[in-house]
Amino acid sequence: MRSVDPGPRAALLRGGSLLAAPAILAIWWLTLDVRSPIALALLAAASVLAITATARALPRWALAAFGGGVLLAVWWIADERGAFPVGTVPSPAATARAFVDEIRSVRLIEDAIASLYRVAWGYVGGVVTAVPLGLLMGRSIAWRAALLPWVNFFRSISPIAWIPFAIIWFGVGDPPAIFIIFLATFFQIVLATTAASASVPRVYYRVAEDLGMRGHEVLFQITLPAILPQLVTALRVAIGVAWMVVVAAEMIAVRSGLGYLIIDARNALRMDLVVVGMISVGALGVGLDRLFRLLMRIPSLRWGVER
Amino acid sequence: MSEAPAPAAPMLSLRGVGFDYGALAVIDGLDLEVARGELVVCVGPSGCGKTTLLSLLGGHLQPTRGTVERAGPSRTIYQDGGLFPWLTVRENIERGLPRGTAPQARARKVEEWLEITRLTEFAGHYAHELSGGMRQRVELARALAAETDVLLMDEPFSALDYQTRNRMRRELAATLAERPRTVVFVTHDIEEAVQLGDRVVVLGARPARVRRVLELPPGRPRPPAAPGVAEAEQAIMEELGLH
Repeated sequence: MRSVDPGPRAALLRGGSLLAAPAILAIWWLTLDVRSPIALALLAAASVLAITATARALPRWALAAFGGGVLLAVWWIADERGAFPVGTVPSPAATARAFVDEIRSVRLIEDAIASLYRVAWGYVGGVVTAVPLGLLMGRSIAWRAALLPWVNFFRSISPIAWIPFAIIWFGVGDPPAIFIIFLATFFQIVLATTAASASVPRVYYRVAEDLGMRGHEVLFQITLPAILPQLVTALRVAIGVAWMVVVAAEMIAVRSGLGYLIIDARNALRMDLVVVGMISVGALGVGLDRLFRLLMRIPSLRWGVER
Repeated sequence: MSEAPAPAAPMLSLRGVGFDYGALAVIDGLDLEVARGELVVCVGPSGCGKTTLLSLLGGHLQPTRGTVERAGPSRTIYQDGGLFPWLTVRENIERGLPRGTAPQARARKVEEWLEITRLTEFAGHYAHELSGGMRQRVELARALAAETDVLLMDEPFSALDYQTRNRMRRELAATLAERPRTVVFVTHDIEEAVQLGDRVVVLGARPARVRRVLELPPGRPRPPAAPGVAEAEQAIMEELGLH
């Protein structure tokens, strides 16, 4: 045994592990008629054991695909077993059909674009106004003392609570939704920028003084690059929140967007469409997050991300 | 010891300098003159205001009492973390060049400094990708690239391991021999003080004032066996109450 080359054994293990997942799912499918709770519990326990025993040999993508497969399988098998009363949870097949229909009719794409459009304006507006204010508060103790408690106060209020005002002030259509996104972004970014710029090591400013830098040079060549890693992390968190909030904001006062798609489908008792809307929101959210994660790979930012 | 001719005008001079942080007097009644090309090392117990002294000399702080005179601008080298982490080695050194440097001359001068400090092959690296010794070499290159006469060094080698520290002392001495500067070097390392300093200024506990000045024979860095080194080391330890 001692002289056995680990290579082929590892490959065998990996191949076996890849087969284990479909095998478990197949067993569950074959035992669809089993109704005994004890048998089901044993089956579940055996599956969990089998998965944990083999998972370590699998590559990441396979685990991710497997995790998704299990979620889908649970949904599917539960539906096949009649676990959901009629009209409460749609079947995977009905959802898939609704998905295809929505893409064919282009409505899903239009709704996604409408949501992204609102998020883009509210988010960019929030960031562009929040960063200067955060810099001011970070660099000035007086401004910080005067405003920081209030930024914290407003940040604690869910942007959704502003919906009544948003409608009274901006009427219906895009503006109230954009305003809500703006609020969801603004306070977070002010806070992050303030914290980041207040904690820039003083030694950088001393060096800048030695180098004879002037005010705007210090801002653009010292403060901004110094806070960028923290700012990019905050931007990534904020886009996630903005994306979550847009769905809620679109449930009022607009007649487009993924949030509207969901609430409209609910009103029509089309739960399959509700799930289509939710899946789209989730997928686009992951996509936005991936996009922002790319920012962290910029070489002049890595110092603050890797350490 | 006293062969050096008295210089006409000192590069740095402190007269009756005092500095308070609130009610706390960190420095009081401090007099010091540094001649052109001299390397003065300040040693003292930790927390005695050595860093404050450098901030006063560098013009980053204004004295509460007395006067600080500087014959020209200065550059400070810090213990660690003075490099801009968002810039590469090359870009950091480039920032150090005098503001008026012509664009064509900039790249050439940066290459020159990279070569002097043996950093050419790391020119594209960021600070966090370098060892502590290399980072201090970049700091040195950036500070020297400024072509200012006065160099202030705040425990520049304290964060390094013993061997790197020794090598850095030799490198600093060699670079200064090639490109003379007026240096005030702060440290708590007595061995370092007597190896590098033309004069060693011993500061007392807070509030800091000059307790004793020792002159050392020329030639830096001095090997431990050089004449006068052991005696100076002994004298400093006695002055600091370490014996």
